[in-house]
Amino acid sequence: MRLPKFEYFEPKDLKEALSILQNEPAAKILAGGTDLLVNMKHRVECPPVLVNIKRIADLNYMRRDNGDVRIGALTPLKRLQAESLIVENFPGLAQAASAVGSYHHQVMGTLAGNICQQNRCMYFNQSKWWRSSRPTCYKAGGEICHVVNKKEICYSAYCGDIAPALMVINAKIALEGPDGSKEMPIEDFFSGDGKAPLVKEPGEILTEIIIPKASADGISTYIKFANRDSIDFPIVGTALWASEKEKQYRVAFTAVDRKPLRGKQVEDFLSGKQLSVQNVKAASDLAAKEARPVKTSVYSPSHKRRMMGLLLQNAVNETKRRSA
Amino acid sequence: MKRAIELHINGDTYELLVSPNYTLLEVLRDKLGLMGTKRGCDLGACGACTVLLDGEACLSCLMLAVDAMGKQVLTIEGLSEGGDLHPLQRAFVEKGALQCGFCTPGMILTAKAILDEEPHPTEEVIKKKMAGNLCRCTGYKKVVEALMSVTDSPGKEE
Repeated sequence: MRLPKFEYFEPKDLKEALSILQNEPAAKILAGGTDLLVNMKHRVECPPVLVNIKRIADLNYMRRDNGDVRIGALTPLKRLQAESLIVENFPGLAQAASAVGSYHHQVMGTLAGNICQQNRCMYFNQSKWWRSSRPTCYKAGGEICHVVNKKEICYSAYCGDIAPALMVINAKIALEGPDGSKEMPIEDFFSGDGKAPLVKEPGEILTEIIIPKASADGISTYIKFANRDSIDFPIVGTALWASEKEKQYRVAFTAVDRKPLRGKQVEDFLSGKQLSVQNVKAASDLAAKEARPVKTSVYSPSHKRRMMGLLLQNAVNETKRRSA
Repeated sequence: MKRAIELHINGDTYELLVSPNYTLLEVLRDKLGLMGTKRGCDLGACGACTVLLDGEACLSCLMLAVDAMGKQVLTIEGLSEGGDLHPLQRAFVEKGALQCGFCTPGMILTAKAILDEEPHPTEEVIKKKMAGNLCRCTGYKKVVEALMSVTDSPGKEE
């Protein structure tokens, strides 16, 4: 399957990349390529310009900065599982990285590339031939969303493994753009609009992920429920951060809505409480109400809701096993 | 617009004129005739197109050829030396870890990347890391046995 034609740039530094992006607002950024190039082969994304940022030096790093951990955008997912800085302090992030795709995807895929991946839907992630049997969906450039049978709306689901693991450890992202650099909590980076899932201007590049020092004081876990142990996107993914000493908890879910979600109701309910069997059971019932999954895959929304609670219970059990 | 690139493949250097939308897989097979690298799903899901890029297992169907410039590419054609099979290739033959052989180049190169990085992996590690290489005829048991036979891992067959 040949890729569609595009103009190609290989900037050597961030400044050059930003100036190309400013002149080419329809350009897409290429990092690991394991998401974008597949979508291009399917002709659901056909950017006229690709900006390969892998030749930019100094975007693959992990370092401590006043106790916070800063990770470069181009850090391969494989490296996140191997560095003791991550494995010991933020094991949930290492788990999420090792849950992505297959070994090859973890070698090729980058941290920021995984965060910026496209939303997914069974009517969108298909070949041009498969899609030709019905009108083009809204996300692929048509008018209708086949999931809900409505016009000009998109219910595709965000299915990244890394984002929920970063959300529960209060990570921030740094963006470089024509107006300088800015930081924002990773939660604010997701729009909740299936058609344009990221809150990012065309000229901006995600350059860094910052994890605050305090997040190392709790135990983080990521549990992925998928069809197979490898290759698959999550049916549901659940991340938990727990400080049993402070009785504070943070929960996030992926693959259940148009963006990765924090489980605020679960967090409010568990706050100040022990992780007792009754409390966790009640929290897992609440978990099902945190998202509004629709049928973007072969798995039913009710199944996903049920799994959100069960995965939360599994995550609590793993947290207890680790803290014992 | 085509670009002039230089690729280092199996120790040889090739000067090529390629469009940026050509993948490394397309250049290997269609321009250089290196048919050992297989085109399976062509979407990064099956692992049949695996090559080593600077020693790392990469899916050549999701890698732009222009992006491979400056890196050392190893395909299955470059693995044996002086007519002698690589120990992994011998192990696959001896253990019967192939039938039709379509997935085998990708399997062997992924195995090489795994064992070069971690010479003594457990069976669990082998199973997890090899899981991105799909086989539709032999199955996976004999593949794992072949890998275990060339490592000094605990549980190695004598």
